[in-house]
Amino acid sequence: MITIAISKGRMQDDATTLLAEAGVSLSPAALASRKLAIEDESGEYRFIFVKPADVPVYVEHGIADCGIVGRDVLLETEADVLLPLDLGIARCQIVVAAMDPKVITRAFGMLRVATKYSRIASAHFGQRGIPVEIIPLSGSVELAPALGLSDAIVDLVETGRTLKENGLKIVEVITESTGRLVVNRASYQLKANEISRLTQSLSRVIEGANVA
Amino acid sequence: MLLSKLPPGMRYYLGAEARLRRSVEDTAMSVFQGWSYEEILTPSVDYYALFEQGMGTSEAQSSFRFTDNDGQLLSLRPDVTSSVARVAATLLAERERPLRLCYAASVFRQQQQSHAEWRRENTQLGCELIGASGNSADLEVLLLAAEILQRIGLGEKFCITINDVGIFNGLLNQLKPTAAARETLRSLIDTRDIAQLQCFLDGQSIAASTKDALARLARFTGKRDVLESAREIIDSPVSIAAIDKLSRLWQVIESLGMENYFEVDLADVSGLDYYTGLSFKVFVRGVGYRVGRGGRYDDLTANFGNAESAVGFVLSLDSLVEVLGRDVSTNGTSEPKIYSIETSELSGSFSEAVERRANNEQIRIEPKQ
Repeated sequence: MITIAISKGRMQDDATTLLAEAGVSLSPAALASRKLAIEDESGEYRFIFVKPADVPVYVEHGIADCGIVGRDVLLETEADVLLPLDLGIARCQIVVAAMDPKVITRAFGMLRVATKYSRIASAHFGQRGIPVEIIPLSGSVELAPALGLSDAIVDLVETGRTLKENGLKIVEVITESTGRLVVNRASYQLKANEISRLTQSLSRVIEGANVA
Repeated sequence: MLLSKLPPGMRYYLGAEARLRRSVEDTAMSVFQGWSYEEILTPSVDYYALFEQGMGTSEAQSSFRFTDNDGQLLSLRPDVTSSVARVAATLLAERERPLRLCYAASVFRQQQQSHAEWRRENTQLGCELIGASGNSADLEVLLLAAEILQRIGLGEKFCITINDVGIFNGLLNQLKPTAAARETLRSLIDTRDIAQLQCFLDGQSIAASTKDALARLARFTGKRDVLESAREIIDSPVSIAAIDKLSRLWQVIESLGMENYFEVDLADVSGLDYYTGLSFKVFVRGVGYRVGRGGRYDDLTANFGNAESAVGFVLSLDSLVEVLGRDVSTNGTSEPKIYSIETSELSGSFSEAVERRANNEQIRIEPKQ
């Protein structure tokens, strides 16, 4: 049996739809239940639904063989997992945004950056040689510049509406993020056949979607 | 300071687990001995410079460091191989080759590579075969590792993945990438991140055939068919030589009927700066990260003034015991008979104790009620 950890929230519906198209379907009853661990109809797969940041934890420890999680989470947690497949779901960008884009270069002393992505932000500004004070927040990051908590933010952007409504403009795109299939290093070898069957049927669905 | 607290990554072993640990270690050491490997004990503390040379700077930096009286940087050993390579090139330089050395020793690292590997003290079961080259030496250590895993009762649970770093290096030699590009390529292939790899390759001006080969490398995991496919699409002479060498190794593994224990993994490019030929990793069902690794490092002893071929591996005793320990209750090791001796009258009681001990019986001294 293969255990797959799935990010709760934004990713969950897209992920289960994609899996169903790949022939791994969860009964509506199971999905509707509040159970956090359920099996698919064939009994070949077990699903666990956990917070996005916990997906790499379960996979790294090998408790889950695979996971479906955004690239943003993987970069932020520096997870040591294999990423054989880009599922193309939940597409978004990790961006630097500010009320005045010039602030990045103008704040010569120390740029204050509010973010849920401390590691990504500090790596990004580090690479560019810009000294930053990272202000870790766990939500509503867009508020920070308006209230004077920070000069800029690093955050995930899907449509850009929230940014606009809070008077923020995108300064630069750090990287793209999409939902990824991640695999535990040991499972990749020890359950090679099962894993490759799963990745193959998923990639057929994705390629089909790209053609259409 | 809370005295009851242990530093992170440290732990005690006791009772059944400690016994299991010792028995796994004994089994491994007897297998090493069975292949004529001689046990070597190396210093627990050594100069940091040794490990920096022996392991490469990035790996050595994970060690616990402190200074000697004269200001020299010392380190708790983060590996044993560096020290063995030095002794082979110095004290044992005149000894007949090949040298076969083995050890069971604890190593210390401040940071582990994976979040799942929480331990900072690990006992390595390892061996080095120095002064022997070619497939014969490579096979010897591979089969030795497999025998240990079988004998400790993991025969149905383990898998050894093999690769030759020459395959990736050969492809890269054609590209002559910058150090940063090389590292990016290496890490994308190592994590099988095909989507990101395609993006990266699309932005590089390199031959389409090399692009294709690099992209496919990330998927080349399997048995003999992987080597055959790789042979067809790769045109670097260095890579082809490495593939052919690995194929000959695989043929022997097949002829021994051991192909179920092994897997070819051409995308395993994690130890590139260390290994010079064969590289392999050991995985066991029930552990999410590798429990051992090894390979050929012909350049290592050159650091100490005497270049010669060398191949070896380490297994993590702690990880092995963790897997085996989960089944230990079902194994039900038979308890030996214990003689309780009450210390009512000291000389009488202890003469019985000494007598029973002379017969190698297990006794337990009970205090007077």
